[in-house]
Order: sequence, then C-alpha cells, then structure tokens
Amino acid sequence: MSLNNRRMSRRNFLKGAAASGVLLASTPGVSFAEKVSSIHFLRRRAQIETITILINDSPWFPGFEALVKQYVETTGNDVKLNVTPFAGMLEKSRNAVQGSESEFDILNLNEQWYMQFYAGGLVTPIHDINPDFELDPNVIEYDAATRWDESLRYSSPDGALYGLPINGNIQLFFYRQDLFDEKGLAAPTTWDEVESIAQTFHNPPGMHGFSLRTIGGNWEFQAYLHSYGTSAVSLDLASGEWMVGLADPGAVEALKTWLRLGREYGPANINAMGQAENLALMASGRLAQVHMVGAAAPNYDNPDTSVVVGKMGAGVVPGGPGGRATLSGIWVMGIPHNLSDVRKASALAFLEWALTKDAQLYYAQSGAIPVRQDVYEALSEDPKLGWWMKAMGESTPFIKAQPRLAETPQIVEVIDRRTTQALIDELTPEEAMAEAAKEIHQILVSGGYTVKPLA
Amino acid sequence: MATTALRRSGTGQRRLGTFLDQNFKYWALLPTLLFMAVLTLYPVGQLLRLSLSDAQFIKGKLVWSYVGLDHFTTLSHDPVVPDALRNTLVFVAASVIIEGVLGLLLAVLVSRVRRFAWFYRSVFMIPLLIPPIAISAMWRLMYDYNYGIINQILIELGATRPPLWTADPDLALASVVIVDVWHWTSFLFLIMLAGVESLPHELGEAARVDGASEIQVYRRIFLPLLRPTIIVALMLRTILAFKVFDQIFLLTGGGPGTSSEVISLYVYKVFFVQGRMGYGALLALITALIMSVFVVAYQWLNSYVNKTR
Repeated sequence: MSLNNRRMSRRNFLKGAAASGVLLASTPGVSFAEKVSSIHFLRRRAQIETITILINDSPWFPGFEALVKQYVETTGNDVKLNVTPFAGMLEKSRNAVQGSESEFDILNLNEQWYMQFYAGGLVTPIHDINPDFELDPNVIEYDAATRWDESLRYSSPDGALYGLPINGNIQLFFYRQDLFDEKGLAAPTTWDEVESIAQTFHNPPGMHGFSLRTIGGNWEFQAYLHSYGTSAVSLDLASGEWMVGLADPGAVEALKTWLRLGREYGPANINAMGQAENLALMASGRLAQVHMVGAAAPNYDNPDTSVVVGKMGAGVVPGGPGGRATLSGIWVMGIPHNLSDVRKASALAFLEWALTKDAQLYYAQSGAIPVRQDVYEALSEDPKLGWWMKAMGESTPFIKAQPRLAETPQIVEVIDRRTTQALIDELTPEEAMAEAAKEIHQILVSGGYTVKPLA
Repeated sequence: MATTALRRSGTGQRRLGTFLDQNFKYWALLPTLLFMAVLTLYPVGQLLRLSLSDAQFIKGKLVWSYVGLDHFTTLSHDPVVPDALRNTLVFVAASVIIEGVLGLLLAVLVSRVRRFAWFYRSVFMIPLLIPPIAISAMWRLMYDYNYGIINQILIELGATRPPLWTADPDLALASVVIVDVWHWTSFLFLIMLAGVESLPHELGEAARVDGASEIQVYRRIFLPLLRPTIIVALMLRTILAFKVFDQIFLLTGGGPGTSSEVISLYVYKVFFVQGRMGYGALLALITALIMSVFVVAYQWLNSYVNKTR
C-alpha cells in the first residue's frame, strides 16, 4: 500500500506534528529550507505505524531502551523491541530478510556482517525511502560503514547510504589514572611507552601491567597492524586490486609486539582472555592498562561491580611506527527490503529522530555510545562521562575500518586462529602471519576479487 | 454386452480388493514412508544439493549456483577440518569410555543399595536435568583461572601454579571432557540401572551357591547379559557426543588456537557465522556420514552379540 492511498487520521496528524516539532527543536544548526524539507517528509509519512526493532542484549542496551522510551513519549509513536543475545542476532536478521515480509522494521547490524546485507540488497538504501534525506555532518560515518559502493563491492565514501550508525563502538586505551598520577605518568602514545609503564606496575598476581584480548581478539589486533603501517586487507582504489597486508614485515612486527605485551605483562591465562575477562581484571583493580572496547567505560563507573570507580583514565589507542589507530566495531541500523513503504518510512522516522543531537545526548547520558562528534565534544567536560567521552571524541580522526567484505567473517576467523596459534607456540610469528596471508589471499581469490599476488 | 461389462468391472474390483488385502502390510506403511520422505529424505536431498552449490542472497533473493565439486577442493585445503575431526574423535572416545565405565559402576552400586535408593537415583539424575547452557556457564566460572573455585581450592591446598584449564591448549579439550562426564554420566547410569535391575538375579544366587566370588558373578554372568544394554547405551551416547556443541561453544569457543575445535562447532561457524552455506552443507554431510559409520558399527556389534549369546 502506498503512502498516498492512506487517509490521515487525527492521531496520525498529531504524531506527524509532534515529530516535526522534535526535529525543529533539536536541529538548531539546520537551515530553514532543510527544516521545511524534513517537515514535509515527516508530514507526508505521518501515517506512522508501530515499529519492531531487532536489538542485541549488549551492555549498552539499557541506553538504547531509554532512547526508545524517550521517542515514544516525545512523538507518540509506538516501538516494540525484540531483544536478542548477540549470538542470535545474525541468524534472526538473516531469517527476517528471507521471508515475504520482515517481522522487524529495523535490524541492528554489526560491523562484521552488515556488508552481507548491503551487498545482497537485503536492506533498503535510505534515499530509496526518502530521496531528500541528508545525513547531518556531525554524525560519524566510521570510515563509511554506512555506505556501499556496488561497483567496488565495498564501503566507500561515494557509496549509497544503506545504514545509519546507532552505536559508536571504537577502541580506547584504559588505564588507572590514580596509579599514573602517583608515578607522575602520562597516558602512553606508543606501544613502547605502554611496555615501559607495564614494567613499572607489573606485579602478578595482584597487579598486571597490561592485558589484551585473545578470544576473538582480531579486532584489537588489527589496531596493532595499522600501527605498523599495514592492515589485514586493503583496496587500492586506483587499480581496484586488493592487497593482503599480513604478508608485510610490519604484520610480523605487530604480532611480535602483541605477543610480547600479552605474554610478559598479562595474566597467566592470557590464552583465554575475552572482553569480559579483561573487564573483570580491570574492574577488580588488578590491571594497570588495557586496550579494549570503549563501551566498557560505564562498567568501570559502576560501584556494584567495580573497585576502580573514579580512578580510571582513557585515551586514544597508542601506536607504532605507522601511527595510531582505533578500529571501529560499530552497529548500524538497516531497514529490511521486504517491508511496505509505510513501514519503511516509520522505521526511518525513528532513526532520524534517534540521530538528532538532543536524542544522542540523552542516549549517552543513559549509558550508550553516541555517534555524533558534537555530542562527544559537549560531554567532554561532563563530570561523570567526560573522562572517556573526551577520549572518544579525540579518537575520531584515528578510526580505521575492519575488512568490510562479504568474506569478513572468514577473514577474521583466520586472524583469530593464526594469532592464537602463535600465542600458544604452535607457530612462530613469521609462520602465523605467512599462513594467515595465504589463507586470506585464497579467500579473496575464491570470492572473485582481483588480488595482488603475495610477495 | 452391458452385463458382460459389469461382470468385468466386478472382477476388476475384486482383483484390486484382493491385491489391496494381500499387501495391506505394505499399504499400511505408506503414510509413515511418505512422512519420512518429507521430513528426512527431502531435507537431506536439499543438503546434498546445497553441498554442490553456492547459495547467496542477492537483491533479497536466495540464488543457488551449481559449483560441482568445488567445495571438496576447499575441504582439501581447509587447515581446521583435520584438527576438528581429530578433536571430535578424541572427545567422543574419552567421554563415552569414561561415562560408560562410571555409569555402569554407579548402576551396579545403586542397585545394591537398599536404604535411600530413591535418594541416590534422584541425586545422580540431577546433572541430566540442568540445561547444558547453565552447566557450561557454571563450569566456566569454576574453571576461571583468577576467580574460579577449583583453583581457589588448589591454591588453598598448596598449589603454586594452578592449571590454566581452558586457557591451556593441552588441557582445554580435557576440561570439556570433564564437564561432559559430569553432565552425561547420569544418562548412561539410568539406562544401565534399568538393565542391571532387570537381570535374573537367581542366576547370580546359583553361582554364589556354587562358590563363585562376587567379581566372578558380575564378570562371567551379569556383564554378558548386560552387553546389549551397554551397546545401545554407548551407541546413543556416541551419537550425542559426536554432536557436542554447547559445551565447547561456551567453555572454549574451540580454542586456544584449534586445540578444542570440534566438527559441529566448525560447521556452525562456517554455516552461520561465515555464511558459507554450500561448504557448510558439505561439512554437515561428512559429519552425518561419519556418525552413520558409528551407528552401523554398533548395530553390527549388537547383532553379533545377540547371535553369540
């Protein structure tokens, strides 16, 4: 059913008017013409239906839930949440887009699999729903995670807009500010400084100088790769050829640094450290420094689970000879292809509202990770959140993308397996990177990409 | 003419009726066969077809493309599959043997208990009633190197370097086997207890009167009589152990490295995480084939034992 065929009820008109008011009030920097265009769109799709969002039960979920409640109260539009553990998100998302009509109006897509939905046309390009849609420049696109270029088969800034970011997860470097202050130390900017500081504090089992993630640790390891001037895979935009960076000497150096920091300054069970284990170690006051997901920050401020409340500092992830890098691990929200126009418009109405500055400020204060640069800047002096919001804002220029290909899950599986094989001494660092490079090269060749031969 | 035609028609109906009556046993099986064909053969056929194809979602539609034996080439280069197969076989052998021996011993002991027998039966059944996800979560906490109760106890007892359990590549699979034994021994205990309690105890009494020791009674009389029960119990447990997933997924995720990777977990990763449906289907088929070999071997053993009794 098209939008124009539906009669506008009084209730729907009021909903549209309320949504328009919210948009006007929350976008002070937007020009009058843009406001009129957006209001026109909102009026046109005032027949807003109840939407259902597939959302993961992650640590930032309470913030998202609060944001949804605020949306419902502000606009009168109804939203249902289908809260699912992380492990079931991909399957539920896939099932939703395979039927004749999706049960969900919005899918929350992880950075490691969103490309399967973009490339397959399983989510709707935003401009197909609203040709006048303009993304506020303050919304961070996380190295074009929102876009897909069909000709390149890759996310590029020139690609079409397919998804809108909802969770700005990037990596941060966390450290014990109180201990650093006692020793007169500043936050490290290089891995060498990290090691030097780790030596100062390392006194196991009561205190570990540093720790890293080794279960599913490819995400953090890729920051090491970038800091040594390489990456797992990269696209040469000029030639259109793909390159596997793990065969570079920088990759071996990155792995050696990763191994040395983990083995020498990490806990004895470094082979089995996931995010939860690192978080527990820091929250229990037994860790001086850790490189992990920025979303961990609110956990350190929770007096029920943390003994380091008010003692933490955060900064940009340190770097190496190739500079500094923080990998994005964000979530984007996509609107399934198999929805009616009304449902698509209703879903987009929510996302547009959720990305406004006021909504994002509320979202951040409710415990989630915002996706707007102006919100990070506004909160950088906040007495409660400022200690890590400032670091999030400062990290924006260093954001690097993970491999964003349909084959990404295969690629990261190889990185995880080979790095841990090096960690448990099954392979030398040279062997681990060489084997990983061969496997990833084969994955790309089998996927039909033009790939430069390995050196 | 009309009368002849009617007669012919009547004869035809009688023949058809006789044919149906004589072969009724086969017709009666037809609904079941059709049901099986729809629920079993069709999905297996689709899996077979998928294993020779690539399936991708393009523009919202599932597009199958025939790739012939390409996935077999992928299989021959896949470095994870040999590790996963080896770990699966080690896991199956270790868990089934330990659980079989413990299950039988417990069954014999409980069958001899007269007071509070109901209590022991209930207690030994508890692990079977707990959802595997809860068991894995519980053991993951217990195995934790820093906070787990097992290492806390070992440190109290004087251990200076307690085991790393799931973090140690040499101990990771063994750690999962321990959890599996804790969980599934009660399953074998229940089956074997039913077998032990149905034994003709007068044979044992007669042997004892003739001077047989207790060990001889169990070894020479009861154990041969229990063989069919043991074989069926071990066959069921082997099939279940081959499909182990939840415990490995939650306790080790297949690591460190590939030290505890098993075939079911790898099929899950390939099929659902990596979205390689064709290759995943091939791995699933291979798993099913290997399990079929086990089932056939057990069936042969069972019929052999029955013949030699």
